[in-house]
Amino acid sequence: MSVHEISAETAAAPTPEQPQAPAGPRPGPIRRRRERHPVAFVVLVVASVLITLPFVELLINALTPSSDIGADRWLPSAFRWANFTDALHYIPYLSLARNSLVLSSLFGVLTTFSSALTGYGFARLHGPGKKILFGVLVMTMMVPPIVTLIPTYLLFSLYNLVGTYWPWVFWGAAGTPYTIFLYRQFFSSLPKELEEAAILDGAGRIRIFCQIFLPLSRPLLVTAFVLAFNAVWGDFIGPDLFLNSSNTTLAVGISSGYDNTAGYPVYNLLAAGALLYIVPVVVLFLFAQRSYVRGFASSGLK
Amino acid sequence: MSALSLGASRTRPAPAPRRGARARRIRAALAFYGFISPWLVGTILLTAFPVGYAVYISFTDWNGMTSFMPWVGLDNYRQVLTSSDTLSALSKTLVLAAIIVPVSILGSLALAVLLNKRMHGRTVMRTLIYLPAVVPPVAAALIWKVIFDKNSGAANRILALLHLNAVSWLTGQMAFVAMIIVLVWAIGSGIIINLAALQTVPAEQLEAAKMDGAGPLTTFRHVTLPAISPILLFQTVLVTITTLQTFIPAILLSPISDSSVVTNIQPANDVYMVDVYEQYFDYSRYGLGSAMIVVFFVVILALTALIFKFLGRSVFYAVDPTEGRS
Repeated sequence: MSVHEISAETAAAPTPEQPQAPAGPRPGPIRRRRERHPVAFVVLVVASVLITLPFVELLINALTPSSDIGADRWLPSAFRWANFTDALHYIPYLSLARNSLVLSSLFGVLTTFSSALTGYGFARLHGPGKKILFGVLVMTMMVPPIVTLIPTYLLFSLYNLVGTYWPWVFWGAAGTPYTIFLYRQFFSSLPKELEEAAILDGAGRIRIFCQIFLPLSRPLLVTAFVLAFNAVWGDFIGPDLFLNSSNTTLAVGISSGYDNTAGYPVYNLLAAGALLYIVPVVVLFLFAQRSYVRGFASSGLK
Repeated sequence: MSALSLGASRTRPAPAPRRGARARRIRAALAFYGFISPWLVGTILLTAFPVGYAVYISFTDWNGMTSFMPWVGLDNYRQVLTSSDTLSALSKTLVLAAIIVPVSILGSLALAVLLNKRMHGRTVMRTLIYLPAVVPPVAAALIWKVIFDKNSGAANRILALLHLNAVSWLTGQMAFVAMIIVLVWAIGSGIIINLAALQTVPAEQLEAAKMDGAGPLTTFRHVTLPAISPILLFQTVLVTITTLQTFIPAILLSPISDSSVVTNIQPANDVYMVDVYEQYFDYSRYGLGSAMIVVFFVVILALTALIFKFLGRSVFYAVDPTEGRS
């Protein structure tokens, strides 16, 4: 094993040691070698391949010319890249995508901030009824969305808000129970001294929150935003119920938009459209992955 | 984080004058309620009120249009609990959860344990295995719909390679199998939380176990598993709740899509949520639909309680999560 690998692993170990220290002879030796796990490796490679194959098949379908649909072959006679532009025109793809983007970002920003506020309140502040309210929060995590969706629809239609993006503003501002829970866990784990010093300096709660706690929770902010963005980007029932064909999202648009007049899906365009629909969330995830993983780790989910 | 706590002063705040204590408590309570007010107001308006409204509607025979809501008492509940359609939808949903929850929880735990070992390509494999969890449910259903197509899908081409007969995946009883495959595809959705949890297992304890001559399985059972059990419990509850609400694969896997929500669902995929939608949007039976929702909520609560009762016993809390880890 190379020196480089040894020192890299030492850095990750909880107790700092000299990088040159030979592995082994200390009392309570911690293995520092890159161990070989042939069985684990093979299992993981097989799992990765199996899980990835549907994506490959989707790409192949997206590139299949119409004349090859239904043909008994693994690869099409030619790759037809124009399927992607066709998919963009078969349904009003770009305006649907814009709606998805606006709605997901709007909800993502609002709920990330609002959940942080509430999580901070539950973690660091005290008031009568706090225990009960926290119980209510945990309870609401178990309420299936369908329970509230239809009565909420009736409520919003009473104020003529059905067909607008306002419901997402309200949902966003109300925070997401699961995200609030993550924030609460994270903020609880920070030392008391953090705000004691600031209070002595005369800082108000809002300033303490904005200047000390919010910046510290950056990985969790990323996690919360990605979770919220993906939830709305992928949500089908919400826009299907609350929006109309002029302002609905991609999730609704692609679910039945690629059917021919007989009601059967046009497979190559459907695949191309679905692929284009997946790309933004996958790219967002890949970009945010490090923070996203750290966000979960830092909240010490328990 | 440690740098910040070093910077903070070690002294306690000076004791405040007595008469200020009450005012301070009130101010503190105001701050608490101020911070949680967006959530509190939102929960009252968007959760508590709708739940109450749904319960009220469930006692009526409302069709969703008239302003008059005829009160029918417990009729809807009687119908929900005696209708063979509803009960078969419920049992189908429970069977689905009974398959998906153990497979998903144990599968993602196993994958996380393997990914926790140091090896080449670990990051890439972690990303690939997690990826289906990022894919929106609509897209996941459509991907598999293409694969399961009877004539041109990859699933039947694989069967042909193995000299097996083609299967009509999206119709009849196989539709249920197809739905299970779609849901199992996202088996990796728990690995990120699991990996984070595995990192928190105290290294000294793992070392001590090894010094005592414990094998990897014994160590896993007596050191790792207790340490991560709260997270596994939490995940079990979440996955159970989500699986019970399965809806999108059921409607989008249907070979013909139709603008009216549920007319073309395969009977095998007629899970509870589909039934609820049928009552609301195909038959405009808001009262019955609401009663179904209330019953479903009670089922979910009961299942959650059962999970806590049977699995919660074996959950091991090493430290109070609000205290620092020793």
